[in-house]
Amino acid sequence: MHIVKQLMAIPGVIAAGEFAYRGDRFSYEGALTPEFARMASILCRSNTVNVNMQSEIHDAYAENSGYKPAQGWIMRGAQISVCNIGNYFAFIENRPELLNDVMTIMRAKVGDVGDDLLVSLYARIGGDVKEALY
Amino acid sequence: MDLNQLMDLPGALAAFTFTDKGDLTAHAAREGTEITPEVLDLLAHACVANIAIATMEARGWEALTGQKGFEPLQGFSMIGLEWSVVLAGRCGVVMKNRDVNYEDAFKAIGACSAAQHPQGAA
Repeated sequence: MHIVKQLMAIPGVIAAGEFAYRGDRFSYEGALTPEFARMASILCRSNTVNVNMQSEIHDAYAENSGYKPAQGWIMRGAQISVCNIGNYFAFIENRPELLNDVMTIMRAKVGDVGDDLLVSLYARIGGDVKEALY
Repeated sequence: MDLNQLMDLPGALAAFTFTDKGDLTAHAAREGTEITPEVLDLLAHACVANIAIATMEARGWEALTGQKGFEPLQGFSMIGLEWSVVLAGRCGVVMKNRDVNYEDAFKAIGACSAAQHPQGAA
């Protein structure tokens, strides 16, 4: 089953989706309007790039410490959390054990994100990958 | 809630506190790990930055969409290949991914943050 559909089958998951590195492509299911899903994709892409940048800096400081490559992030709100692994995201309610379940599924289904996260995300929508990024 | 209690969380490798600017104020690290105070100080600066960004995003999201439930921010986590950092307020804990319980970690780190800043959210 596709990861988004699998996540959406869990009670308490509000929305889930996938975004492209540049933020101009996304897909989703759940209780978001297309415009809100677009905004969510941009937010998630921005945080993903940020956390990856931090992991690169961290690795320069302490090589092979176990941070790089960054796998994702969690934004824990008062009643809602945003979970992100790779280029997948989920908006979830803060129900008991839901966060752990969602993170376990996302890590298992997405797998370890490789060193080339940004390159591969960008490559999906075409263009000169190396030149565009570096 | 002190650093030793954070270190009792399953998979905890290091726990630390920091100032509003991200300077390390206290830390504890599991024996045998290569996590140094310098590394934790760098992480602490990232923590402050991420909490500020996430708070901005939560506030902006609520204002733009009318969807409530994000504020006050309870914390943030950066997930690396082998370990995650869970943070709130001015406290952070580094935990092995294979042992991490994010919900328990957010609860514990929230208690640490509240102890440091009784009035403060993340």
